[in-house]
Amino acid sequence: MMKIYPIIAAIGLLITVVSVLKKSPFFNFLGLLTLIYGLLKSVGLVTAPFPAQVMTMYMAMSVFSLFIYFSIQESTFEALLEPVRAVLADDNKLILRVLIVFIALPLFAGYLTFDKVKPNYEPPVSARIVHPEPVSSIEFRGKPITIIGLENPLRKDAANMAGNLEAGKKIYYQNCFYCHGDDLDGRGHLALGFNPVPPPFRGTDTIAQLPESFVFWRIAKGWRGLPAGSTPWNSAMPSFEDFLTEDEIWKVTLFIYEATGNKPRS
Amino acid sequence: MKKILLTILLTVVLCSAWYLSASAEDSQGKKLYNGWCAQCHGYDGDAKSYTDKFSVPKPRDFTMGTYKFRSTPSGDPPTDADITKIVRNGNPGTSMPPWTRFTDDEVKAIVAHVKTFAPDIFKDAGKPITIGTPPKASAALIAKGKELFNKAKCVECHGKAGRGNGEKGWQENFKNDWGDPITPANYTHPWELRNGSTVEDIYRTISVGLGGTPMTSYMDSLKDEDRWALAVFIKSLQEQRKLGVAIKIKKTVAIPAKVDDPAWDSVEYMDLPMGGQLMFEPRDFTPLITNVRVRGLYSDKEFAIMVEWSDKKPNNGADGKPADTVWIQFPQKVTEEAEKPYFFMGDKKHPVYLWNWKASDAGKVTEQLAKGYDNVADLPKQDVTVIAGYNDGLYRVVYKRALKTGTKDDFEVLPGKFVPFSIVAFDGQNGESGIKGAVSSWYYLMLEPATPLRVYVFPPLVALCVFVGGLSLSRSLRSKK
Repeated sequence: MMKIYPIIAAIGLLITVVSVLKKSPFFNFLGLLTLIYGLLKSVGLVTAPFPAQVMTMYMAMSVFSLFIYFSIQESTFEALLEPVRAVLADDNKLILRVLIVFIALPLFAGYLTFDKVKPNYEPPVSARIVHPEPVSSIEFRGKPITIIGLENPLRKDAANMAGNLEAGKKIYYQNCFYCHGDDLDGRGHLALGFNPVPPPFRGTDTIAQLPESFVFWRIAKGWRGLPAGSTPWNSAMPSFEDFLTEDEIWKVTLFIYEATGNKPRS
Repeated sequence: MKKILLTILLTVVLCSAWYLSASAEDSQGKKLYNGWCAQCHGYDGDAKSYTDKFSVPKPRDFTMGTYKFRSTPSGDPPTDADITKIVRNGNPGTSMPPWTRFTDDEVKAIVAHVKTFAPDIFKDAGKPITIGTPPKASAALIAKGKELFNKAKCVECHGKAGRGNGEKGWQENFKNDWGDPITPANYTHPWELRNGSTVEDIYRTISVGLGGTPMTSYMDSLKDEDRWALAVFIKSLQEQRKLGVAIKIKKTVAIPAKVDDPAWDSVEYMDLPMGGQLMFEPRDFTPLITNVRVRGLYSDKEFAIMVEWSDKKPNNGADGKPADTVWIQFPQKVTEEAEKPYFFMGDKKHPVYLWNWKASDAGKVTEQLAKGYDNVADLPKQDVTVIAGYNDGLYRVVYKRALKTGTKDDFEVLPGKFVPFSIVAFDGQNGESGIKGAVSSWYYLMLEPATPLRVYVFPPLVALCVFVGGLSLSRSLRSKK
């Protein structure tokens, strides 16, 4: 849909060029306006599009500037208004007059008014902080644990790495895969039922950006540990301290990094 | 002597190199399988795995060599393309996802490894049936398919409306070859059709059947054109989900008094995809209610919300299984702020109202206040009424309440105001009760206010002004000439 705007700009440019050659200030005016509109809208292709209000402002400024430009010379201004006058008054333009002035313009004005006065009901939208500030410490089943600077103790245990990873895999597929996905891509078979949807672990946007201590905290506390800005009331992430031990959480953390080829941020 | 030693050494080196390269080749499939398939299908392909108790339907056991989804005639092994299709597309409605991350060569290696679990079965390659071009769907063809649906006795298992609720589908011994209970497919839910939902997929299933299940092949008993007609009819039963965040409820003169009143069918609806309750023990890892449809109407005094869902086997609590149950949840305090109670049964600070309906007492609804999953109490004053019905595989429960009850702390429903709600549903046949059930997240409902007068007045007025302006301008210009 966005791709139509450069085409509109091109059409505007074409009208401008032809109208300059044919010496018609009226179409020159229309062509330039179309060109400006198309260009401004095309911005949305490369970066965030302009909000509707800003668009209205820019377009109003363009109309105003063009009017000033075309009214500097009396003759140009006359020529600019000539087609308008012709449609309004000339005997041989009766059909065009009926179509544009008496049908199209009133209908268009009526539609614009309808668009302004029609009631618009939109459900409330709430912003959500995806990566909240981690807490400095938690109580894990009554035991205090300092989160800041916490490291996965199993990373040092090279001898049991394979066994720990396999144990982590089992924990993952008995506790996490329904939501976070068989392929750890966030597309588990129950994922669609929840809002916010469960995040993927694959890719570089989630766990790759986080230290393991953060991941431990999220698994251990789940929805209950989220600050209000992260809408804990919507989250289906269980507090896994209810179901898993500290050791089991470290094992599954080990697994989700290994299985996605990600490294924890240090 | 040196020569002999050298020969032996060379032979050993060559042999081990050949052995290593050969095992390296088949180990790619094994490695990928062990990494990404064994968690469900088992390291030995026997489906004794990490997820076997957490998945419904269970993961496939490959050691029997029986494959449900094939393009080959009944009794033949599936083709490599058949197994590849399952790996690539997944089986909708199960925990088998589409595996899109792997290259074609990797999938080929996985398929080769899967076949090694039942090598005898794959000795002779299966030959796929020819699937021609599907006929164009027409009213006449659908009618013909419907007739065949009854004549070929499909209706006995799949039910009149195709929701998988047929009498015969619910016999005691209705099991697959692996000994697990099995249920007939619900055609109205295309998002759950394991073997795909296109008309070709349906035609293929009818033609070759589903291996290891009571769904037999109709290749010989039905002509090709009849199978297409049947497929076109079954395809016509599929419903598309309308997902959204808010349902707008329209005003009516009188709310229908019956659940099957045709007036309900033309009411705008919204579908809620359901997840399982995974936060508190006992958790529901295998909810079978995947979708709940919600719609509503309101009058001057009351509003009604209909909750509708498919259930292949109704349970009213008399058959030893828990009664089918549904709740609708509302925050006790409806505020403009974003903060809400916890989406499942609220919390201490933010209680929710539960409108609790059970099939064991279908004419009744109990209004409850929940302050968390372990803190629920019946309310002293009951203001909600309910009408409910089960027809041909479909439950419909209509809750009705006054817009304003006057009961202390009860929430008021005002036109134009968005009220959060969520649904919890329990399938007794699946052993769901208590807090073990299917859950939805928060959604909104809103009573749509009557169109304000300004919408009828201003647009024509402005149009008229522009018309008159144009006319007078034109006149004055013409008279100047």
